[in-house]
This record gives sequence, C-alpha cells and structure tokens, in this order.
Amino acid sequence: MNSPTPLPPIKRIDPSRAPKVVDPRHDSLGAADAIAAAVAPGSSERVERMRIDDLSIAYGTKPAVRNVTLPVREGEVLALIGPSGCGKTTLLRSLNRLTELTDTAVATGSITLDGQNIHALEATDLRRRVSMVFQQPNPFPMSIFENVAYAIREQAARRPSKSTLAPLVREALEDAGLWDEVGDNLDHPALRLSGGQQQRLCIARALASKPDVLLMDEPCSALDPKSTEIIEELITRLREKVAIVIVTHNLQQAHRVGDNVAFMYLGELVEYGTVDQVFNAPRAERTQDYVGGVFG
Amino acid sequence: MPQSAAARSERRAERSLGALSSLVLVLITAMCLFVLLKAWPSFSHNGPMWFGWGGNVDDQLAAIFNSPANPAKWDYTIRTWPILYATALLTIVSVGIGIVISTLAAVFIVEFAPPSVKRIVSPVVRLLAAVPSVIYGLIGILVLVPFVGNHLISEGRKGSVTFVVQLSGASLGVAVVILTLMITPIMIAIIADALRAVPNGWKEGALALGANRWRVMWTVVVRTARPAIVAAAVIAAARAIGEGIMLAMVSGSVGFAPNPLDGITFVFEPLRPYAATIVDNAEGLSVKPFGQTIYAMAAILLFASLMLSLGGTLAKRPLRKYGVRL
Repeated sequence: MNSPTPLPPIKRIDPSRAPKVVDPRHDSLGAADAIAAAVAPGSSERVERMRIDDLSIAYGTKPAVRNVTLPVREGEVLALIGPSGCGKTTLLRSLNRLTELTDTAVATGSITLDGQNIHALEATDLRRRVSMVFQQPNPFPMSIFENVAYAIREQAARRPSKSTLAPLVREALEDAGLWDEVGDNLDHPALRLSGGQQQRLCIARALASKPDVLLMDEPCSALDPKSTEIIEELITRLREKVAIVIVTHNLQQAHRVGDNVAFMYLGELVEYGTVDQVFNAPRAERTQDYVGGVFG
Repeated sequence: MPQSAAARSERRAERSLGALSSLVLVLITAMCLFVLLKAWPSFSHNGPMWFGWGGNVDDQLAAIFNSPANPAKWDYTIRTWPILYATALLTIVSVGIGIVISTLAAVFIVEFAPPSVKRIVSPVVRLLAAVPSVIYGLIGILVLVPFVGNHLISEGRKGSVTFVVQLSGASLGVAVVILTLMITPIMIAIIADALRAVPNGWKEGALALGANRWRVMWTVVVRTARPAIVAAAVIAAARAIGEGIMLAMVSGSVGFAPNPLDGITFVFEPLRPYAATIVDNAEGLSVKPFGQTIYAMAAILLFASLMLSLGGTLAKRPLRKYGVRL
C-alpha cells in the first residue's frame, strides 16, 4: 500500500469464521489476563496522561464500544487498529467529547485526563488540551496564518495581537514541518495548499494550542504515499512532545508509527501490547487472524 | 449512415428546448427595449435633472397628466428625487434590518434550535416567503396604519407639520416594518441553506480546537457563508425595490422626502417609491406624456433589478472556490 516494498495483501477477518472466534476473556490462549495486566495502571514506567476505564458507548441501542480499558501515556504513540466499524473512531472521538455532537450517543464508564474526569472539565478546555486531526484535511477557508492562529485566539481571554501570535504560529508550523514550505506565504489561502500540506497545517493548528494529547483519526487515508511518509515521520518526531493516539486501518502504518497497539473488534478491545508483541506474538486468536497475513 | 430513432428524437428535443429558451431571451430583450423606447422622451426632456430635486413631484405629475393635446406643448418636466430617495431609503433600511434579523434567525434554526422546533420552523419560513405581498399590505393598512395613526402620532405632532404634510399613520415606519417582514423569510431561507451547506468538517474542526458552538458559528460558519448573506440581501433588495402594491397601500403615497432632521416625526412621514408610483398612476397611462414618464420609472426599476441580479451572481462566486454550492 504505502510502503515501497511489496507486501502480501492484508488478510481481513472472514465473516464465515466469526463463530469460531472466542471471547478474549475466555480465550484458550489465556490472553485476557495478560491484556488486563498490560492495560492496568502502573504497567509502564511512562507517565500516564489519559485513562479510559471500562468505557462503553452506544448509538441508540447499537453498541459501538464495549467495556474498553486503555491507558494513554506520554511520549508514546498509541495506535488503534481494527476492521471498519469496530468502534475505534468512536473511541477516539470520545476522548475529546466529540461523540457528544451525536445526540443518540450514550456513554458509560469513565475517561480521565491527568486523573480528572473529562466530564468534569469544560468541553472547550478539554478540547484545547486534547486536540484532534481528522481523516479529511479540514483547514478553514482562511489564510494559513489565520488557520494556525485560530486555536490560540479561541483560547485567549483577550484578543492577542498579531505580534504575540506570530512566534506561536511559527513554532506550530515548524513543529508540523511546514514552516520551510509556507513560511513566506502565511497570508495565502490555506485551501490552495496540497492535500498533504493541508493535513500538516491541520496538525500545526492542533499543536498551536499546546495540547497534552493529540488525537489523529486516520490522518493519512486521504493522502498520497509521499505525504503519508512525511506525516508518519512527523508523528514519530512529535511523540516526544505530546501523547498521540492514532486510529488507522493500515496495519503497516500502525507498525511503523505505533509504540503500543490496541486491536479492536466489534467494539471490544481484543489485544493491547507493544508493536512487536502485537504483530509478532499476538496473544488473542482474533489478533492472529487479523494481523497474521501482514508480516507472517 | 442512417440515424437511429433515438438520436433523431434527441436532436428534436434539443432543438425545441433551444428554441424555447431563445424565445424567452428574445422576449426579455424586446421588453427592455420597448420600455426604454417608451421612456426616452421623459429622460431626454429632463436630462440628468430627471433624478434631481425641485418643486413638488406630485404637482409635476399632475401637470404632465393635464398636458395640452398638442404634442408640441406636452409637459415633461419632472424631478423625481423624492421618489428615488424613498425607494433607496425603504430598500436600504429594510434590507439592513432584515440582514441582521435573518442571519440571527438562520443561525438559530440551523445550529441551536431543538429538532422539533427545526422541523416546524423551516417549512413555515418557506411558506412565509411565498405569501403574496398584497396580504402584507392588507394587514398593514387595516391594522398597523390605523394603530400608528391613532395611538403613536400625537395631535401635537400632526399639528406641527400640518402645512407641510399630513401624518395619517401610513408612513416610512410602517412601510419599513411591513417590508422587512415581507423580505425576511426569503433571506432566512437562503442564509439557512448556506449555513447548512458549510462542510461539517470545518465545524467539527473548530469544535475540536476548543471553540464553543457560538464562536464556531460566527468565526467559521457565518464567515464562510458571507457571500450567501450578500446574495440573500441582493434578492431581498430586488423584492423590496420592485414591491409596488403593498407599499402603495401603507407608505402614504405622497411624493414627499422624509427628513431625518425632523427627529421622531421622520418615522411618521409618508413617502412613495417608484413601484408604488407606477401602481398608483396606472389609470393615467393613456395620456401620452404621462405614460412616458411612468415608463421612465419602470426603466429605472428594470435597470436596478438587472444590476442587483448581476451583483447577486458575482457575490455567490467566492463560495465556489471552496467547493460549496448553493
């Protein structure tokens, strides 16, 4: 797909095999306990920023996420993988309460940011600290400068002057690796940029508010291989500054950029572990089926 | 190679549709030419002073109507400034108020109204946009004009201007209220459509950056829909300029230029725009110079609506480069 070296095709779970698949909690491989231990607090020496605890989300009566527990740690990239409709995007959007925009969504369980329940925070404050990049690049129909300054302006108590904004905008664009390309043309319309540049602009915009956590919803799925490569390098670089949660249906991408990988299926968390462990020694049978064709 | 029946019928349909649309174009052009030709004597006799001021425009109209039978002695002298001023004043004030009200209403309908309210309000707004203007005029003349005349204008105020103009209740204020009421629904409908057409990704993107819904609405959605707001204003202005019957009913139909320096009395002073002048004087068209004067007013209205529809088309253009179609 995006890699220059040809790989065998990704093997998706065949529906006809679904009845054979067992619940991870009663799994013959004994994966449930190992995964429960991996997601438990204190299982890593890194600082935990967000914790998803026993989270379930349903749209009306249709469950999308079931009893998921996951840690989001500083300095790490958490990759959420799984087939379409497995609830990974819903899980991601619940982290900054964007699921609330859907009237029918009902959530149980808890999500905390630095120990504080995110529902105790103002939604606007939460979203400044837990920023998001979407699947489709969505720069606003304004200039490049205005796009990056938007988040800073929205969170400032007083309207910041252009001279206060300029260094912050520059820093965000540098972080997103876009400064060299657009630094001279900050007043150009953002929508004239190429798709890959637009997506990096969206990353810069999300970084401008200096978030603690950056959520990325399949950020490369609308981009060409070259742009994808640039953004993947960017993600690898950014993880030092900010905790990243990335949803991807591209297993190679999860392998390239992820530190930890969570595999979801039908709304449940099936597997969680380091990249090597999930791709090379998956504990749950369903994970083996899903990732089996990729590197095996 | 012989043509198939399908190709032939397609060709036939193409030709007949093309002929129909050319016919419409020809008719419109012919109408414009006809009006201009009829209007020409009035313009050429007065020159640019046709738009100027001086004298009482109603007296001038009467003098033209009573022109002698000899074509060489026909009177054409007219200074239509009070009518031009009334048209511009009514249009600008109503559209100005209408823009603010309709933008706020559209934002509410699209973003903040609960779904049940939304379901009722949207069709009602469209229905209101289709109400014939004469009904607004009827409500104005039966309800608003007597109310204003009996309760809002004191005898003292009526007395203070009695030698200049009669204050009956039919006035600038009532005309603006009814005209705004008449043009707002169509503006709400257009602006609401534009707000809905703003890509969801922009709204979500702004929300995800920590802006609240109200700020997202102003900084991203309304901002993006600005060309549509201009377009709505243009369409509303075209309706307001062309509104004759309703304004003839509620404006007082006096060729008078209300003076803002009169303070509150300004609002109660009568006036009469071009379209209402045409409606009021339709029965005198058989007198040739009078008819030509009325045609000149029609030519001005035609020109104004032409300019407005051109402006509206241009105003919508900026949205297209973002891929938003209205």
